[in-house]
Parts: sequence; C-alpha cells; structure tokens
Amino acid sequence: MRVLVIEDDLEQSGFIKNVLTGAGHDVVTAENGEAGLEEARGGYFDALVVDRMLPRKPGLKLVQEFRDSGGTTPALFLSALSDVDNRVEGLQAGADDYLAKPFAPEELIARVEALGRRQVSNEPPVTKLKVGDLEMDLLSRNVTRGDTKIDLQPREFKLLEYLMRHAGQTVTRTMLLEGVWNYHFDPQTNVIDVHISRLRAKIDKEFDKQLLQTVRGAGYCLTA
Amino acid sequence: MTSGPFAFLRTTSFRLALIYALLFAVFSAGLMGYLFQATVGSLRTEAKSQLEAELRALAVAYNTGGKERLEPAQRERALVRVRNFTYQFETGAGRKIVGDMAEMPVTPPADPGDVDAVTFEIEGRRPTGEVSIIPIEGRIVRLSNQSVLLVGIEMSDRLAVVGKINQAIIIAAPIGMILALIGGFFTSRYAARRAEALSETSVAVMAGDLSQRVPVIGSNDEFDRLASTVNAMLTKIETLMSATRHAGDAIAHDLRSPLSRLRNRLEESLRGPMDEMTARDTLGETVEEVDQVLATFNAILNLSRVRSTGEEHLQKLNVSELCADVADLFEPACEEAGLSFEAHIKPDLYAKADQALLAQALSNLVDNAIKYTPRGGAIALNVETADKDITITVSDTGPGIPESDRERVKGRFVRLDDARTQAGSGLGLALVEAVANLHGGQLELDESALGASGLKASLSL
Repeated sequence: MRVLVIEDDLEQSGFIKNVLTGAGHDVVTAENGEAGLEEARGGYFDALVVDRMLPRKPGLKLVQEFRDSGGTTPALFLSALSDVDNRVEGLQAGADDYLAKPFAPEELIARVEALGRRQVSNEPPVTKLKVGDLEMDLLSRNVTRGDTKIDLQPREFKLLEYLMRHAGQTVTRTMLLEGVWNYHFDPQTNVIDVHISRLRAKIDKEFDKQLLQTVRGAGYCLTA
Repeated sequence: MTSGPFAFLRTTSFRLALIYALLFAVFSAGLMGYLFQATVGSLRTEAKSQLEAELRALAVAYNTGGKERLEPAQRERALVRVRNFTYQFETGAGRKIVGDMAEMPVTPPADPGDVDAVTFEIEGRRPTGEVSIIPIEGRIVRLSNQSVLLVGIEMSDRLAVVGKINQAIIIAAPIGMILALIGGFFTSRYAARRAEALSETSVAVMAGDLSQRVPVIGSNDEFDRLASTVNAMLTKIETLMSATRHAGDAIAHDLRSPLSRLRNRLEESLRGPMDEMTARDTLGETVEEVDQVLATFNAILNLSRVRSTGEEHLQKLNVSELCADVADLFEPACEEAGLSFEAHIKPDLYAKADQALLAQALSNLVDNAIKYTPRGGAIALNVETADKDITITVSDTGPGIPESDRERVKGRFVRLDDARTQAGSGLGLALVEAVANLHGGQLELDESALGASGLKASLSL
C-alpha cells in the first residue's frame, strides 16, 4: 500500500514511517497541512494518515477540503485528543477512522490496512461474504462452512461479519470493540478474547483447517 | 449597598407596598360607598312598599265596611303590633277614634284622598325595658268622610344596621391602611434582608471561599428558589474547581512516582553490563510501564473530563438496551472466569444519559466484579425502576469491601491492600461515581444480596 503520512512532529512521523515500512508499505511524508493537501491531491495513495494539529492547515480542515474537492482516499486521524466528541468531529470532517495517540504499532498497521481494504470493497454492494469454505449470506443471515450450517447468536454474527469483511488482515481488539460493540474504551478484562474463542468453537472446532488465527501481540486474523 | 434602618424605604417592594396600600384604600372606599348605598337604599324602599301595602289594605277595609270594618282590623293589628306598625285613626274634627298615640303627631292633608309621606318620633319601650325615642316613617291619608288615618313603621332597627355599617367603614378603613403599610414594611424588610444575604454570599465566594452558600429558610418562595439555584451553581463551580485541582494534584503526585521508577530503571540498566538479552528485557518492561503510566494519565483526564461535563450533553436513550449490551459483552468473560452471570433487566427504560460514559461506568463495575470474585462465584446485573429513578446494580459473591472503606474506595487511586496485585489504575470507582453524579445519581456500595460478604454497587440515575 502507498500511504501518505501528514505529521509535523518529525520524530513521530519517522516512527510511523518505520512502522508502516516495516509492515511492507510505501510511505510518503508531509510536514504541514498545505503541503499534505497538495500531496494528497497530486499523488495516488491507498490511505492517508493525518495528524489533527498541523501547522498552516489543521487536520480537520485538510480532510474536509480534500473531500470537498472530490478526494476519496480513505483517511485516518491521529490525535492526542481522544474524547468521543473529538472522534465524532473527525469522522464528520470526512475521515474513515480515528486513532488516539499514543498507539501501539500493531494497532496503526491494522487500521491503515483496514482502510486500504475499504476502498476496494466499497464498490459493489455485497450480499455474500466468503472466506475459504466459510460463507455468510447477509440477507438470509445464514452461515455455512462447507455443508455444515452454523448457528450464531446475533452478536457472534456481527463479530464474524466484521472479521470476514476484514479477511486476510489483522484486526485488533480495539477495532473489534469499536466496530462490533461501538465502545471506545478499553475494558480491563479480556472480554474480546472470550467472544473470539466462542466464535472459534463454532466455526473452526469441527474442521481441519483453522480459519481464525490469533496474531500475537496484535489481535486476530480470519484467513482462508 | 442597602443598609441603615431606613434602607427599606429605598427598596422596590416597599414602594410596591405603598402603591398597593393606596390602591387598597381607593378600592375599599368605593366598595364601602356602594355597599352603603345599596343597603340603606334597599331598606328604605322596602319600608316604603310595606307602608303602602298596609295603607292600601286598611283603606280597602274602610271602603268596604266603613269605620266598623276598619276599627276591628286596625285594633287587631295594633294588638299584635304586626311588623312594628303604628296606627292612629281620628275623625275629621281631630277626635281620636283609635290609635297607639295620644294624639295625631303630624298635620293631615286637607283634601280627602290625599296621601302624605311623613316622619315623626314616638316614645317607645324597648324589649330591654329602657324608654327611647323611636323614629317612625309614615303615611297619612284623609279618607272620604274626612276622617284621618296614619300608618307608621319603626325605622329604628333598620337605621341601626345602617349606623353599624357606617361605623364599620369608619373603623375598618384606617385599620386596613395601617395593616397594608405594616405589611409593606415587613415585606420590604424581608426582601431587603434576603437580597442582602445573597449579596453577602457572593462577596464571600468572590473572595475565595467557595464553600459559602446562600441561606435557604424553607419559605419556598422565589427567594428560596433563587437561593437554591444560586447554591446549585456554586456547588457546580466548587466541583469543577476541585476537579481541576484534583487532576493537577493527581498528575503531579501519581505520575511522578512511576516516572521516577522508570527513570531509575533506565539509569540502572545504562550503568550495568549491556548484553542484548537484558537490554531487550529492560526495554520490554519499560514499554509496559510507560503504557501503564499512559493508561493512568488517560484515566485522570477522562475523570476530570467527566467531572466537568455538563448535563446538557445527555441524550435520551434506552438504558435497558445499553445495559443488555454490556451484559452481552461480559457474559462470556464471566463464564471463562468460572462465574455464573445473570442479568435481570427491566425492558425499555429510557433516561437522559451519555451512552459512552454510562457503558464505561457499567463496564468498570462488571470488570471489578470479575476481577475480585473467586472462581465458582456469581455475578448479577439488575436494572430496575423505583419512582422515576433507574437503579443499575452489579452484585457479586466476592470478598466485598469492609463498610469502613466503602467511602474511601470511591476516591482517586485508592486500592485496598489485597487489590494491589490486580492490574488497574485505581480510578475505576472514581469514574463510576463521577458518571453517576453526571446523571444526577450516585454510586452506592453495599453488602451484596448474593452473599454475606459480596459487593453490591448501585448506580441510581
């Protein structure tokens, strides 16, 4: 993926660049809002990582103007302002995700990769999801693996849907809490792990090939 | 500032009292005048019509039977003194035929058929025995044979009523005026004093004493309501001020020590021998510790944010659904921890709430319950209503919190001894309480209904 990182703190932007490069992505950096907007309009990128407080043009304004001028590249806000209200502001300005500083490197990678994915998959309206022999019909809400029908609770269905929409990429616990439960805080108990292991018991237990993998130190990955 | 013994003269309410007193005087004068006219007038009209009816009746008696009919009728009437009538009947020559008086007290009209309205006085004996002059209103007529008939009606009782009314007006009007002025005086002095109390409190608060409050005396009037509102405002200001101060203190005290520890560790490893394995271990531990510091830092910020959030942020939402979601999130984790979990949630309870904060507060409570309840225990989440309050209760069968510590654990960074081994910022319950307060409720800790030693945490909204 080609990622544009717009961040004025050079140390921070160097760190982000290292992290993303380490995960196999190409990174271009810009140091202020105006240069960043120009760069975003000019070059082809799969994702934008934008700091909220930038010199010359604040991040919110940058993303807003970029969207107003027809830019569709998905954007992720990085910000020390991590309030729910700040997050809502960011998303209303046109960003696709919001990550509070400081963050774990794995969290950043997972979220940026999820962004790149989103652009590809938002074109045809999807009614069926498929990962290996695991299939989900979003209309009839049927889930099957091979010939076996799998019964899921509503919440398990949402969880699996999220994982299938992000198939092949790492999904962190925080992303699951946000995406499936819509919670923006971190419960201290490992609640997500237990939900995952329940889901795993239903979709993987009886089968040879394990689809739902644990990514150590990061999260989970559903892959064929 | 209003002060001095005559300060009330300059107050709005005294001026109002004065105006009201004048209006009262004018109004009562009008009312009493009307009353006087109405009563006296109607008394006279009534007397007149009675007199004329009596005169007519007697005239009819005379016309149909002459003197022989009139006399017994009159005599009979005079005997029973019907309705205080007085009669006198005499010949054309002025000789008394029959009557209540010694002689005719007034001059009769000259021509037969003429009727004159007359007033005169007689000496009468009251039922009490005393002799008094009784005013009489009468009609006198000369009949066709020149004889003269007088019928009179006593006015004394009626005039006495009129006199009493007059007397009442004369006494009541000045008393009313005086009472109105006294009322105005006290009202204005009361208002001046209450305003003064408000002003004194404000001065004290401005001088820095945020604990000052305007006295509420229980009169339940607009002054009390104003005082309550001002007091609520002062409480909010005091809370915000102390939250800000607390956040500052917390950052100073509670981040300084882990940061010093961190610094010491790095310093030490810099001095010691440095092979890759120990360096990696040290760095790994350091990252963990920094994360912990950051978590604490976030918790402090979050807490002060909640404490300074206003109620205007709250939106009406389905609290039952929110609680069910939290229950749904934690239920598998409870099972994993070997705990039975039961949720009894009364459906469709709505309240003005902050979705994110309430969910977080509730998560903190369930989190705590899972952490401190030994395997094999039970956790229950109950959502009920009493009156208009929604009570969310999380109970467990864990060791509980001794009664003496229950208030203390709600504070910042208070962790009971046996909890130090557990991860956590020590701000969990402080946040829950702040969220409860934001929703106009409170956090109550009590013995669990599930077991003698467990903990029951109730959030009332």
